[in-house]
Amino acid sequence: MEKEILFEHDILVIGGGLAGLRAAVEALKYGKDVAVLSKVHPLRSHSVAAQGGINAALGNTPDIGDDHWEDHAFDTVKGSDYLADQDAVEILCKKAPEAVIELEQMGTVFSRFANGKIAQRPFGGAGFPRTCYAADRTGHNLLHTLYEQSTSGDIKFYDEYFVTSLVEDNDRCLGCIALDIKEGKLKAFSGSVILATGGFGRIYNRSTNALINTGDGAYLAYEIGASLEDMEFIQFHPTTLYDSNILITEGARGEGGYLRDREGKRFMKEFAPEAMELAPRDIVARAIITVVEEGRGIEDEYVHLDLTHLGEEKIKERLPGIREIALDFAGVDPIEEPIPVQPGQHYSMGGVAVDTECQTEVAGLYAAGECACVSTHGANRLGGNSLLETVVFGKIAGRKAAEELDDKNAPESLFKSHREKDEKLIKSITTKDQGIVYSEILQQLKETMFQHFGVFRDGEEMRQGLDKIKQLQARYPEIYVQDTSLKFNQALVRSLELRYMLFISEALALGAIAREESRGSHYRKDFRNRRDDEFLKHTVLKKEKDSIKLEYSSVNLGQFEVKEREY
Amino acid sequence: MKFKVFRSNGEKSYYDDFNVPHEPGQTVLDALFYIQEKLDDSLAFRYSCRGAVCGSCAMLINKVPRLACRTQVERLKEGEDNPDIKGYPALKEGEKLNENSLLVEPLPHFPVIKDLIVDTEKFFEYYQELKPCLKTEGKPPEKEYFMEPEDVKELEEYTNCILCAACFAACPVDGENPDFRGPAALAKLYRFHIDVRDQEDRLELADHKDGWWACEFHTNCNKVCPKNVPPNVAIGKARAELKKKKDDK
Ligand SMILES: Cc1cc2nc3c(=O)[nH]c(=O)nc-3n(C[C@H](O)[C@H](O)[C@H](O)COP(=O)(O)OP(=O)(O)OC[C@H]3O[C@@H](n4cnc5c(N)ncnc54)[C@H](O)[C@@H]3O)c2cc1C
Ligand code: SF4
Ligand code: FES
Repeated sequence: MEKEILFEHDILVIGGGLAGLRAAVEALKYGKDVAVLSKVHPLRSHSVAAQGGINAALGNTPDIGDDHWEDHAFDTVKGSDYLADQDAVEILCKKAPEAVIELEQMGTVFSRFANGKIAQRPFGGAGFPRTCYAADRTGHNLLHTLYEQSTSGDIKFYDEYFVTSLVEDNDRCLGCIALDIKEGKLKAFSGSVILATGGFGRIYNRSTNALINTGDGAYLAYEIGASLEDMEFIQFHPTTLYDSNILITEGARGEGGYLRDREGKRFMKEFAPEAMELAPRDIVARAIITVVEEGRGIEDEYVHLDLTHLGEEKIKERLPGIREIALDFAGVDPIEEPIPVQPGQHYSMGGVAVDTECQTEVAGLYAAGECACVSTHGANRLGGNSLLETVVFGKIAGRKAAEELDDKNAPESLFKSHREKDEKLIKSITTKDQGIVYSEILQQLKETMFQHFGVFRDGEEMRQGLDKIKQLQARYPEIYVQDTSLKFNQALVRSLELRYMLFISEALALGAIAREESRGSHYRKDFRNRRDDEFLKHTVLKKEKDSIKLEYSSVNLGQFEVKEREY
Repeated sequence: MKFKVFRSNGEKSYYDDFNVPHEPGQTVLDALFYIQEKLDDSLAFRYSCRGAVCGSCAMLINKVPRLACRTQVERLKEGEDNPDIKGYPALKEGEKLNENSLLVEPLPHFPVIKDLIVDTEKFFEYYQELKPCLKTEGKPPEKEYFMEPEDVKELEEYTNCILCAACFAACPVDGENPDFRGPAALAKLYRFHIDVRDQEDRLELADHKDGWWACEFHTNCNKVCPKNVPPNVAIGKARAELKKKKDDK
């Protein structure tokens, strides 16, 4: 008889982005047998697209004095609209300098000041130029560095493996089932699991995210009993390229770019007179939408991001990638013309609930990076803090998973039943003669999410949105793909992703409807104020039989007193 | 717009014609998604970022290796966007270019897995062989290593590589000699060589007939590179250095 568990490892890292690779490198240091599974080649992970930079209180900028981790922590907590857990923020900010230096010593080519130190630029919501960068290709440079590190050691890579479920026994995660996309076969893996599957931006039709960001990890974890936290907090980036929604980094405003309405007026003056263009993202995104709705946008769709006054030299040196993007995707040269921009979904603050050591409620299951919620970002993430989170908490997850490893017995029969269940689902999709194609449901889902759970929200509209999501879920069983081949059946993979997306949308909707206040990125027209007495707490979603149970948990407050947010 | 697309299950191959309605700003990747979602869901191609940064979607479009997500249909239609690359045998295979349709094929010089997806194992094997990982010496400083902004500038030309493999598919030498390590792997090697923090002797790693010395300077690599990486310049400089070292001995 063929063995059921084909691959045995100590630790299975699911995801080859920054969080996954950082975790893998760390676990390897502890002498563990580590494998990385990823649905795309690791270098194709979404992390590669991060542009602007990574925060650390290095205080490298000449002549403006020292920076301190406490200041970084304060900015982060304030930016989060006080929903971040302050113990988690403390870890993030304290470990930031060490994490950045470590990456530099691993080989990342950061941009430099004339004095040879790592260059830092101002970023939204930060009181100090704290964002270290490698031109405007920071994610690319970091991911390539970590890929270099992780492939020069003894880590086993399973590229183009799509994880379909986690295997659990007695509240303990024992491994996973994954579809080998190349062969079209389901295979069982045993080991502790670190989830590093990234965000779920693609449930929205306007998103800066890679097309593969479908939130698989949150669903996988939820299915075996882990909680999801703060799923309603979605960051909309104010400046994405009109139409294609490719990101135009906040670094462009950090370097001095202006936002202008149709008349050329710098409208941020009306919304954040002090911080202007560098107010936090939620505030700038709402400002742009308001301006467009007031009829002051261009073609009633977008506003202008003007860099022309920065001059050719600065644009070419500091923002070469942005110039390339504007030229390639909009035919606009920012040296000569302003860039057309509009807000788009950008980041998922919520995710799999973990403690500050990246542990979920299920033993042997850890999560780090954008798929997790520690929570360091609360209701609104500051730019440059999520790259930081991937490496700081990726490292912690790798260590913790290695330390906690014990001999667990992985019963073959359990893996077999999981695999057979997934196989049945796949068969039900690939053996129908007719039905609905995934793209039809997906398109409707994305539109629903943007319309009903976008930058501005409203109770009644959200309830209608939730109804639509439920209707779409009800149609899922009719989904079919025509392609009957096993090899690279992408329609099948996308249909499976859609299943996760439908679930995540519902979870998000439940959290958003229940939160009757405005906080950070969650802005309700029917509850315009923050309501600390009732809602200074995290939303927690748990599986209960076949429905989602909503609870709340308290926020870990600390040295920073909860205040109004003003910029 | 008509698209002529290469199809294969790894054994049999043929071409399919698809009609894709044109939209402003449409890229070749957008068109492929239209086909997969609306016309034929068995069409396979790699994708991820759709923003020309992840390196997934390199393919042969109108006989030029390039990124599908960065290639605007409009510009191709107008006959723009055609880098002047030197011809090589692989480009003469398959369908001929024709004015009425856009031709989309998998990257040459690699085995096809399915449709537009190729097996790039060899590409990454060569990359790994040249040990792309920083090696410093002694105890690292407490903070970062200092680097001159000028040094960083030169390095960036090479660190910009997204390992899309377009250059490997465009290199006439790689077509003829499958052992040639190829432009990207050599450019990466050179990137570590010029990194002031790196203490490894690296140029020797490719000091053989299938390394630095195989290049014939057709410069197709640089011309098709979506990130403007100049592997040809790296190779030229490496050779000059090696020569000088030998002459000095
Ligand atoms: C355009 C853009 C620019 C950004 N710029 C910045 C910035 O300047 N600074 C900053 O701090 N943050 C930035 N961010 C945010 C930041 O890039 C991300 O939050 C971060 O990179 C996420 O990393 P990750 O490792 O958690 O996940 P990802 O990099 O998304 O990796 C997820 C991995 O999981 C794998 N995976 C997912 N599902 C499965 C499955 N079912 N089976 C197998 N594998 C799976 C994928 O293959 C992938 O390897 C930016 C985000 C965007 C969208
Ligand atoms: S050098 Fe250019 S063409 Fe070659 S792999 Fe790198 S990015 Fe692609
Ligand atoms: S999809 Fe990432 S480079 Fe084209």
